[in-house]
Amino acid sequence: MDLALQLLATGLVVGSLYALCAIGWGLIYGTTLHFHVAHGAVFALAAYYAYVAQTWLRLPLAVAVLVAIVASAVSGLLIDLLLYQQLERRGAFRTSIFIASLGLLILLENVLAIVFTPDPMRMDIGALNTAVIIGPVFLTYLHILTVALALVGYGALMLFLKRSRWGQAIRAVSSAPEMARTVGIDLRRVHLLTYAVGSALAAPAGILVAMDVGAEPFRGTRFVLLASVGVIMGGIGSIPGAMLGGLFLGLLENLGIWKLPSEWQSAISFGVFLVFIVLRPRGFFGRTIHSAEI
Amino acid sequence: MLAYIAHYLVMVGIYTILATSLNLLVGYSGIFSLAHAAIYGIGAYASALAALQLGLGFWGGLLVAAVVGALAAALVAIPSLRVAGDYYIVASFGLQVVILTVFINWTSLTNGHAGLPGIPRPRVFGLVVDDPFKYVVLSLALAALTYLICRRLTASAFGRALRAVREDEIAAAATGKNVVAVKITITTISSALGALAGSLYAHYITYINPTSFSLDESIFITSLVILGGTERLAGPLVGSLILLAVPEALKFLAIPDTVAAPMRQILYGALLIVFMFVRPEGILGRARPRRAA
Amino acid sequence: MPKRLALLLSLALLVVTPVAAQQAPIKIGAILPLTGSGASYGVWMKGGTEMAAEEINAAGGIGGHKLEVIYEDHAADASKAVNAMRRLVEVEKIPFTLTSYSAPTLAIQPIGAQSRVVMMNGGGQSDNLANKDYLYNNIPVVSNEVGVLCDWLTKEKKFKAAVMIVANDEAGRNSAKSFRERFGAGGGKVLAEEQIALDGNDFRAQLAKLKAQGGDLLFISSYGRNVAIVADQARELGITIPMAATSWVQIPEVLKSKGAQGMLTTRLPFNPDSPFARKFKERYKTDAGFFAVQYYSGTRIFAAAAETAMKKAGGKLDGEGVKNAIESMKAFDTISGKLVFQPNHAAVMDIEVGVLKDGKVEVEKIIKAAQ
Repeated sequence: MDLALQLLATGLVVGSLYALCAIGWGLIYGTTLHFHVAHGAVFALAAYYAYVAQTWLRLPLAVAVLVAIVASAVSGLLIDLLLYQQLERRGAFRTSIFIASLGLLILLENVLAIVFTPDPMRMDIGALNTAVIIGPVFLTYLHILTVALALVGYGALMLFLKRSRWGQAIRAVSSAPEMARTVGIDLRRVHLLTYAVGSALAAPAGILVAMDVGAEPFRGTRFVLLASVGVIMGGIGSIPGAMLGGLFLGLLENLGIWKLPSEWQSAISFGVFLVFIVLRPRGFFGRTIHSAEI
Repeated sequence: MLAYIAHYLVMVGIYTILATSLNLLVGYSGIFSLAHAAIYGIGAYASALAALQLGLGFWGGLLVAAVVGALAAALVAIPSLRVAGDYYIVASFGLQVVILTVFINWTSLTNGHAGLPGIPRPRVFGLVVDDPFKYVVLSLALAALTYLICRRLTASAFGRALRAVREDEIAAAATGKNVVAVKITITTISSALGALAGSLYAHYITYINPTSFSLDESIFITSLVILGGTERLAGPLVGSLILLAVPEALKFLAIPDTVAAPMRQILYGALLIVFMFVRPEGILGRARPRRAA
Repeated sequence: MPKRLALLLSLALLVVTPVAAQQAPIKIGAILPLTGSGASYGVWMKGGTEMAAEEINAAGGIGGHKLEVIYEDHAADASKAVNAMRRLVEVEKIPFTLTSYSAPTLAIQPIGAQSRVVMMNGGGQSDNLANKDYLYNNIPVVSNEVGVLCDWLTKEKKFKAAVMIVANDEAGRNSAKSFRERFGAGGGKVLAEEQIALDGNDFRAQLAKLKAQGGDLLFISSYGRNVAIVADQARELGITIPMAATSWVQIPEVLKSKGAQGMLTTRLPFNPDSPFARKFKERYKTDAGFFAVQYYSGTRIFAAAAETAMKKAGGKLDGEGVKNAIESMKAFDTISGKLVFQPNHAAVMDIEVGVLKDGKVEVEKIIKAAQ
């Protein structure tokens, strides 16, 4: 039972990371319909922004993290502005945007690998490394912070989408882009904002992982993949769905190995997903899809 | 120097088979699979094990690879019957990861990360194909065979049915085309051919392990198709010729491999982006009418 | 057109003739873990090889020919090793290569055997590396160390129940198999085993599962950077039982790690105060280690064997000649003493056991090599 509780705790922590990636990616995908795999590059960049801010610029940890989040938001925005919107202006198909996004992901990851080497760059997290023992469960303050940030991020996003004018504009574009355009909403501006917000949500995930095990150039691919799985399972267009999808994946990965051999961990989430997508393609909360065009 | 060129041509042959067989899915059927490296791997392992465990020769291995590949096609086909587009992409990602995990963890069969060394070189008409020059002939011959098969297929009535399903599945079903049968057939042929390439690879390098069949490899094969030109059978050949020349050319520059490897990837990523701006239909592709911005 | 042809021909002759007239350098390969989780080993291995090659060339080379080493990086990936080996054999036509790690060495061995190229392994320790054609190991196989370790752990330290964390590759699995046998032979029991990836960095799930099994000892059947992470994360999860491992874990990251202090371990002979170690430190700005000496020795063994082979073959050198020389010479003088290749193509050495404290291994006992 102790083991199950420990795995549950780890699952919640990992699930929080996936959830942060998923709600950001889901927001972007739901609003722009771009298959933005370069979100993985933003995830990786965020970690290095924080590392550089702390180690080269010698900023205190909290400031470094904030700087990194802002820098990531700007990075995501620039990706849309300089890449996707330029392609769309030339009449590109969605496949082309996906391929370009893939190219950008590969390019950015490898630039990071050259600049920082592929070895993990550890950060100094001081007291956050302290052990926290809750019954039979061993965690660190960092892990607790991770779960907390995921909840805060989710709450903030939901509030933003429901209450603020810009949030409502995003929702309008997400559910009915042509209608939004006719009522005078500037689609391009909304897209840029969506990318900024979505990337700002991925950033804490990348930074938290870096604080735990170090920043690595190639980790983002796996996270963006799992984010997309979480979004599909939660249902495209639903932020609560994406949040639950991400948490569910983290729990599945860890509780799954309670009884199964741990080396099959990555196969478990994807295996379950494959079964799921054959049985219920529209996910938990998604709108019914007619033929998703590509 | 000549040995380098021979090696390059052997790999062009192998990748042409891979890219052509993937093109059947991506270009002709609209099934955007990112699991082709897994199929490639299944063929390689099937053929290697047939040789190492059962003592079958190269041709036996090829046959085993093709059959096992065809059976594995079910994994690719089933999700395609339920979802399309972006959903399918993610599903195929998942499939790729699951199959790779099996390669790594089913150690009693595949020997996991340690891989399978000592795979015998092929015996063709009593001659052992033991140097790159002889292998070029074998590789290009099989590539040509693949091309011919695919050409017959796409030019036939079946080919037309494929394109109909790609353009509009619902309409295709309405005009009486058996969409399920079409999808199952094309994934089976595509996977059998992809597995064939795996067999060719295994007997050439004489060693296989899971790292050769990862997601990165799937992405690479997909770019060969996209950059060469989908929907054109010669596209994959052109894509292979160009994209394989890039790393080989870079090898001649005296850059340490730790920098050279990511540099190749950067060049390759940049190439993908540039192509989407300048020529999204690929080098040989037919320009499709652009969408209104 | 004829004028251009003549120019081309004379240029060609100009290139070919001096090459034929000069003494062509003797090229050998070195397939090492230069990057990735084992990069620390690579620093030692490359450094030792370089120092040996330079000394050999400064003393006139091998039979008057300069020695040139072509370094290749396998980054723990056997496929890369195979590609490197192919290039070295088919294009560079080497007679000999240094190699490292178990799986990459096993992967290239059939190629070496078929092309008659000698392979010298100074680092990999899987038992499967013994008794292979054209492959020589100037390091003992891991079962020697595991045997000594288990004897000490069961008979003197009285451990009874172990859990294992195992790298999912050839070396890790082989060493785990050996541990099961020898720990069992000493009256102990292995309760559970979990597998990890060499390049992973989060092992909490596996460690949590092992923790739930209890036991009084954690055996780490892995090597490279991940061992430091395993040790730290184990302590973080509240695993308090002692840890044990063989000598291959003693890289800077592990020696410095907090979690690894107190580890019970074996050690292969290495003198950190030897002239070699001091020269190494001066040049590479980092402490020398056992593997630096290994590859230094491996290169010198090649030089000695090659000289013998060339004398016998009237100045010609090929892999078969080198192999025959090694077989006939059997024993070689190295800076750590006399090295004798056993009939199984591996070496035997004295093995020490001790405890890791303050970044160093405090040796408790030395078990002499069984000859």
